[in-house]
Amino acid sequence: MSMDSFLFWFLAFITIASAVTVVTITNPIYSALALAMTMVGVSAIFVTLGAYFLAGVQLIVYAGAVTVLFVMVLMLFDLKHELSAFSRGQISGTIKVATAAALAGLLIGAIVWTVSGFERVVSKPAAPDSADGMRELSHALFTKYVFGFEVLGILLLIIAVGVVALARAKGGTHAQR
Amino acid sequence: MPNVDTSLAAEALARPETQTQIESLDLIAHSATLGVGLSHYLILSAILFVLGMIGVLMRRNAIVMLMSIELMLNAVNISFVAFSRFQNLIDGQIMVFFVMTIAAAEAAVGLAILVAIFKRFREVNIRFFEHLRG
Amino acid sequence: MSPQLLFATLILAPLLGFLINGARYRKHSAEVAGGIATGAAAISFISALAIFFQLLDLPAEERRVAVQFFDWIRVADLKIPAGFVIDQISGIMILVVTGVGSLIHLFSISYMHHDKGVAKYFAYLNLFLFNMILLVLGDSLPVMFVGWEGVGLCSYLLIGFWFTDKEKAAAGMKAFVTNRIGDAAFILGMFILFLHFGTLNFQELNRMVPVDPSLAWFGPIGLGTLLLFIGATGKSAQIPLYVWLPDAMAGPTPVSALIHAATMVTAGVYMIVRMNPLFLAAPNTMMVIASIGALTAVMAASIGLTQWDIKKVLAYSTVSQLGYMFLACGVGAFGAALFHLMTHAFFKALMFLGSGSVIHAMHEEQDIRKMGGLKKYMPVTHLTFLLGWLAIIGMPPFAGFFSKDEILWMAFHSPRGHILFWILGFVGALMTAFYMTRLMALTFWGESRVDKKIHPHESPLLMKIPLIVLALLSVVGGWIGVPHVIGSLLPGEPHNILEHWLEPVVKSVPGMEAGDPTLEWSLMGASVFFAAIAAAVAYHFYVRNPSQPKKIAEALGGFYRLVFNKYRIDELYAATLIRPLIKASQGLWFYVDVNFIDKATFVTADLVRGGGLFVRGLQNGNIQRYALYVAFGVVVSLSFILLR
Repeated sequence: MSMDSFLFWFLAFITIASAVTVVTITNPIYSALALAMTMVGVSAIFVTLGAYFLAGVQLIVYAGAVTVLFVMVLMLFDLKHELSAFSRGQISGTIKVATAAALAGLLIGAIVWTVSGFERVVSKPAAPDSADGMRELSHALFTKYVFGFEVLGILLLIIAVGVVALARAKGGTHAQR
Repeated sequence: MPNVDTSLAAEALARPETQTQIESLDLIAHSATLGVGLSHYLILSAILFVLGMIGVLMRRNAIVMLMSIELMLNAVNISFVAFSRFQNLIDGQIMVFFVMTIAAAEAAVGLAILVAIFKRFREVNIRFFEHLRG
Repeated sequence: MSPQLLFATLILAPLLGFLINGARYRKHSAEVAGGIATGAAAISFISALAIFFQLLDLPAEERRVAVQFFDWIRVADLKIPAGFVIDQISGIMILVVTGVGSLIHLFSISYMHHDKGVAKYFAYLNLFLFNMILLVLGDSLPVMFVGWEGVGLCSYLLIGFWFTDKEKAAAGMKAFVTNRIGDAAFILGMFILFLHFGTLNFQELNRMVPVDPSLAWFGPIGLGTLLLFIGATGKSAQIPLYVWLPDAMAGPTPVSALIHAATMVTAGVYMIVRMNPLFLAAPNTMMVIASIGALTAVMAASIGLTQWDIKKVLAYSTVSQLGYMFLACGVGAFGAALFHLMTHAFFKALMFLGSGSVIHAMHEEQDIRKMGGLKKYMPVTHLTFLLGWLAIIGMPPFAGFFSKDEILWMAFHSPRGHILFWILGFVGALMTAFYMTRLMALTFWGESRVDKKIHPHESPLLMKIPLIVLALLSVVGGWIGVPHVIGSLLPGEPHNILEHWLEPVVKSVPGMEAGDPTLEWSLMGASVFFAAIAAAVAYHFYVRNPSQPKKIAEALGGFYRLVFNKYRIDELYAATLIRPLIKASQGLWFYVDVNFIDKATFVTADLVRGGGLFVRGLQNGNIQRYALYVAFGVVVSLSFILLR
């Protein structure tokens, strides 16, 4: 087994295990923790794919900011009376899992069939050198996708303002005790 | 099976510089060895996505639902980056950039709403919020 | 004056009268309403006369004045203009209709003087005249049919004029429905003729008739003419659709005079005479016509022998006389039919108006058992009625003699005639003489059986004038149709003016030969002689020896009762046709409409409601459920795409 493939299988295992934990565990704090783990795993996978910058950003934004946000909000709520994690009803639960499984099956089947139809398509892998990848990324970002980039900035501004407005003591929904 | 547009791949194949790399790189299809190709990453992405979907469908805690949504978005990110890698196009990574930003923003807003809801109702169990019924 | 203007005046004057009187239907003044209506009728008559004089100036072969006002129907191959024509046949008819009509309008002013709805009455009467004119003058079957339907409507309106009385209203309904049955056959006949000939214009139809008569029962000509004749039995009260006419006596008496004696009921005869070449080409239909006409003549006369209501006697007499007209058509004597139509209009209208005069004097009493000896109270009425009586029983030289005798002669002599037809006609004539004399005797002659409280008196002037005019016509009206055998013996040798007049448009039966004068004289003499005997017997019974008829009636017992009850035909129809139809309708209503159709709609509505409730249940507020729907949709779509 080459280094590449071992890395992949190991990381894949961790990521999936963490994801399962996120979905199944009752205590939401543990769920958040598992989510953080999943993010880290995904970041590592990005590294194996050679997207170093994105791996870094993933860690900073997701594992860093978003997960912390989740934990913070969880701490805000004092959830003592969480009875059970999953929605009641055996039948509806089965249908849900079945649907999800069917979807998974379809997707995997599609992937396998499609990709096996490819000839030995080859690409020059993106240069393992991070500088080259970065350069390419930033180049595309500031030329081809500059409009979207700017809009994203505005979006973030709006989000920031909006979040504050929503969560204020006397704002947003005029929440009262 | 549907028609798969292999023109892009064929185009890449036709490029002269790639011909020299053919033997050394077997990056796509399943091979006899446990080599990983595009399909592995895509399958991983699919599994993560479906797991996230199960979380959305089945968890009753609204915050955990949001977490599952983040999971789904990450799965998509993986597949974008995988495609970017194997097509040698940077646009996939750009897309991830955008998705990440949006996902973070959406998580923030979602949580803010949940905070407001919790302040009002002291509950985040979505079972209690079935007012909009027919 | 141009033909268009004359025709327009002729046709539209009564319509205008209808509109004016209709607008002021709440007014009570009989003079004003009646004045307007009679004026309109008189204008029509004068216009008709003007056109008729134009006709006289034309050579015999081209004697027609025709106008077309506008394109009425234009669909694919069918082109029917609103066209009207006065030729030899319609000329006579229109003069009779408008002339007698005007007189009856005049009579009504006096008769309906005290009625509250007098303006409405005159409006209806004018509307009737308008439709009748359309019927007579129309140059194609559809235009005639418009008038045909219209007079049926007006008949209904006028019979049921006093509609607050349920029986009278029912009589109106009966007339209308029975008429409609005939009309359905008429329409079918029109369809078949159009299908075969491609036109419905009278002139064209008559020209397109093949030379050889068609002997097929179900060929286009045979079937078409038969259906048209069935329509005629409805309108002209023959077997089997005559049952409405006796009931129609519920209407005001002038209505009975105009519609059910002189004009509307003759429409069927008129139609057949108009299309005589077509009918000549269908010998089977003609045989049917003659048979039904003869049978009706005898049957109705037999019922008339027993009735006690003065108007009922006259009604059955009308049915019987119409039978004679159809008999004439059936044996190919179309000219004789038209002749009898004309003379009958004169004397029957006269007698109806006379009975109106009597009823008016007797304060609405109509039972002749309660009359008698009215001669001395109402001399003018009596004299005019007497002249009508002489005409109808066929005494020369009055009008009825000439027309009826020509019919009887042709029934015997024509290639399409038969001795049986003559015998039936002869028997009918005897019965006619008997019951009319009976009517005269019980009403005017003999002892007075009038209720002491009623003081009968002569009628006012406006009622007398029409009686006198019609009486005069009943005397001289027959003299335009003097048959050759008589005319050759008279000074001046008057020939048969009417026959000569009608010659270009009335074809004769192929194979008709000249008759043996001796035979003709003997038949004529026999009928006159025996009719006189019958009259004398009736006189003897009812004036001299009133108890005798009663004894005879009792002796005949059950048979007498059968005849008195109109052979129970109405009951027969009710039992075999009407009640089963009503039951079937009710059954259909209950089983099909209520149980099936309504249920189907309810079930559908319930299904929709149920579906709605189900779909509504899908939205239960559970967002995870919604997410499941999305996921499910994705799975289904993907599987369609990928697994195809």
